[in-house]
Amino acid sequence: MLRSLCLLVMAALVGAALQPSAAEAQSFTRAVRIVVPYAPGGSSDILARLIAPKLQEAIGQAVVVENKPGGSGNIGADAVAKAAKDGHTLLLLDVGTLALAPSLFADLTFDPQKDLAPVGMIMFAPYVLAVAPQLPVKSVAELVAYAKANPGKVAVANSGIGGMNHVTPIRIGKALGIEWKNVPYRGGAAATRAVVSGESQVIFNGVSGSLQFVKNGQLVGLAVSGPARLASVPDLPTFDEAKLPAGDSGTWQGLMVTAGSPPELIAKLDAELRKILANPDIAQKIADLGGTVKADGPAAFKAWLAENVKTLGEVVRENGIKGE
Amino acid sequence: MDLFSNLALGLATAVEPINLLYCLIGVVIGTAIGVLPGIGPIPTVALLLPFTFGLDATSAFIMLAGIFYGAQYGGSTTAILVNVPGETSSVVTCLDGHKMAQQGRAGPALAIAAISSFYAGTIATVVICLLSLPLSALALKFTAVEYFSLLVLGLLAAVVLAHGSVMKALAMVLLGLLLGLIGIDVSSGAARMTFGVAELGDGIDFVPVAMGLFGLGEIMANLERPPVRQVVSQKVRDLIPSWADLKASFPAMTRGTLIGCILGVLPGGGAALPPFTAYAVEKKLSKNKAMFGHGAIEGVAAPEAANNAGAQTSFIPLLTLGIPANALMALMIGALMMHGIQPGPQIMTEQPQLVWGVIASMWVGNLMLLVINLPLVGIWVSMLKIPYRLMFPAIALLCCIGTYGIANSVFNIWLMLGCALVGYFFIKVGAEPAPLLLGLVLGPQLEENFRRAMLLSDGDLLVFLQRPISAVLLVVAAMLILVLLSPTVFRKRKEALAE
Amino acid sequence: MTGRRIDLQDLLFGLFLVGVAAFTTVATWSLRVGTAANMGPGYMPRAIAALVCAFGLFFVGRGLVSPFKSIAPPQPRAVIFILAAVAAFAVLVTTAGLMIASVVTIVIAGFASREMRVVETVLFGSAMAVGAVLVFVQALKLPVPIWPW
Repeated sequence: MLRSLCLLVMAALVGAALQPSAAEAQSFTRAVRIVVPYAPGGSSDILARLIAPKLQEAIGQAVVVENKPGGSGNIGADAVAKAAKDGHTLLLLDVGTLALAPSLFADLTFDPQKDLAPVGMIMFAPYVLAVAPQLPVKSVAELVAYAKANPGKVAVANSGIGGMNHVTPIRIGKALGIEWKNVPYRGGAAATRAVVSGESQVIFNGVSGSLQFVKNGQLVGLAVSGPARLASVPDLPTFDEAKLPAGDSGTWQGLMVTAGSPPELIAKLDAELRKILANPDIAQKIADLGGTVKADGPAAFKAWLAENVKTLGEVVRENGIKGE
Repeated sequence: MDLFSNLALGLATAVEPINLLYCLIGVVIGTAIGVLPGIGPIPTVALLLPFTFGLDATSAFIMLAGIFYGAQYGGSTTAILVNVPGETSSVVTCLDGHKMAQQGRAGPALAIAAISSFYAGTIATVVICLLSLPLSALALKFTAVEYFSLLVLGLLAAVVLAHGSVMKALAMVLLGLLLGLIGIDVSSGAARMTFGVAELGDGIDFVPVAMGLFGLGEIMANLERPPVRQVVSQKVRDLIPSWADLKASFPAMTRGTLIGCILGVLPGGGAALPPFTAYAVEKKLSKNKAMFGHGAIEGVAAPEAANNAGAQTSFIPLLTLGIPANALMALMIGALMMHGIQPGPQIMTEQPQLVWGVIASMWVGNLMLLVINLPLVGIWVSMLKIPYRLMFPAIALLCCIGTYGIANSVFNIWLMLGCALVGYFFIKVGAEPAPLLLGLVLGPQLEENFRRAMLLSDGDLLVFLQRPISAVLLVVAAMLILVLLSPTVFRKRKEALAE
Repeated sequence: MTGRRIDLQDLLFGLFLVGVAAFTTVATWSLRVGTAANMGPGYMPRAIAALVCAFGLFFVGRGLVSPFKSIAPPQPRAVIFILAAVAAFAVLVTTAGLMIASVVTIVIAGFASREMRVVETVLFGSAMAVGAVLVFVQALKLPVPIWPW
């Protein structure tokens, strides 16, 4: 046991000694933190741990991933918003949740648009709309008809109040006049399990969470969100093709930094992030996570955030969803 | 037969030198983080995940699994030696394990913990091979209704954990349930009793409460008592369990293993239910109930076996259904996907070498743990020779670092401080904290599943009796409460007659 | 003593429970209670608080009629120094770094015992601090500063 600890320590010291020297980039003067505002193991965490070593090579400073979970990601985001404005504290998170936060939480302690500055979007992971096999529907049209015929009976599992996949069915219901029974679960895995076991009937969830069940028949896939059909399930129509609204639903992951950080550093981070995302190995890992690379720079990200804070905020307010 | 060819394939994979090496690395790291309070397997696995990208998927998975069950194993060492439960599962081990250590029987306690874990690991490996498919079907039968009934039964069983008054234990469960309500309500999104503290939004972390109530509360109470010299004997005879110990432990291990195998499969029950349930069952079945809570060796053997068996069978839903049974298994799914493997029912046929290799490696890893840990027992016990005046500040420091490390949160340290004060009060008034911890862990699930069941059944309470599994669980719970309360009632009558 | 009929343990625990129940009820007053079929977020806190209160009253009652049973008088020294040590760690860990926080915590905690020897505890604390930094920061990558600078 003691020996194993010694080994661990030695490995750590060797690792530290092998870090590249800080000769090439004077701009970053000390270790850079990537704050992930969720527990380890989620998509954001995996992305951060993929990107960190590459970023470390590029900027010549240690890059460490720090999980700061809690409060729907708001605790970690708040910590970055209030960090020193020197570009050394980064935030990698699900920016869809971030866009929802101002309208959900009345007492939010930071403003996502004013206190955080976008560096770049990283990934978009579309949703698969899937239903339990016991439900007598095989297409989006049949689901819509069935749900309209049984108002308040069809249970949609979501992975938590105020999350993107809670808001998505509400947006769709609003547009098509469907009254769902929204059933909250603790996390996407629990929600998926509930639909596979038939406890709830409908789920909007990421490809990585749902696809395997669709492929082996434990769930019936009906449609996918996003701009195009997926290579892995080519017969599923897109939301647009199936005449479903909210086709932009899904998980968006982005990298941000404390607002007021030096623009040169943000530009440097943006450039390095694009290089990292252009690496085919990283693209493959992102595809494994069920997403596609979305290397949008600060400007496009800023616009995306502004628009989503507005449109999602309207949905939240109109339906009286509250995070309190 | 399929089973044997599968096992043969698995064993052949597991004993490949490279896999043996990664299995060893996994269990050693696991033991180390298990012994250190606060640093759990989840952050460790997350930390090591990127390093596994370069490895073969089977080797990577063997190592990550080793960390998981190695940590379950190491956690009991800290629980027995210094009464600090680093994880939910070691709370039960604290009860009798630490009492044994105080009586100078730390050696047998540690050895029995190791032997029980190995025994349970061996049986669980066979169970996984034989029963994966039927057990995963059972896991899918559990909906919100069945969960609610199971949790009710589990909470009532928690009362058995205390060796004092049944009424006080029930009150402590309720206090735990109240603590568990703190945070953002999953069913409505409303914040409850968070007082504007963002850190409370996700509820109270288990670790600061456990370390405050057990670790620090115990230190403060110890310091008040007249100093007792720790009985530490280095004689080999006192390090190994006696024949009587083994004879007493064996049936307890077997029952614990069975309980662990079944409960481990159910998603959501997580690490908490198997050891608690096993302890409760032993206490009910034992001929010398009075010993429980005062250093009964069955009270170490049964929960340790249940814990380890549950840890292993919690891989079943992951491997057969692609559904994670707990947060760590969710992380494992992430690990599989990073290696380009989609978990799910097809994984058994598409990746037999991975599945059976990992299963067989669990048995190999358990053997390694036994071989590594039995010789270590002497070293651990000799740690008790450190004078208490140095020992307790070190425990206090480890509690602080561990609590901070859970979520890198200073708030958790303040929370632990508050719990230490309350824990001290509980010791003063003779109320035991273990039932409170189970209430805290299971409370949120109890409420969630109840409300979900009500929502789905449109408020029909009868649903709990209409579904057979749920009805059986509730009947058992009702019987349990009658058995629990009857001695109190009878004693009252006796007392009344005496006066 | 035989004539007195108060069990202090039961009485204090009972009062504590009643206090917790009252506090919970006040703190969750504004939450919607709903009905059993469609429960609001305030339903469970209210229901459990009522049960806790009932238990509390039971213990208060039992405490008042039971034979006298005192509780061991609290000794403030242990409580104060242990809590102070934890508080010091909470304040210092992110500002002064793990090294200093560890030494300070061990030394303050040491004062909780009358057997404490200053030099020995400082040396032991320093050794623990180095060990903690090596294990938690270097090997396990706990994101916490080592030094204040």
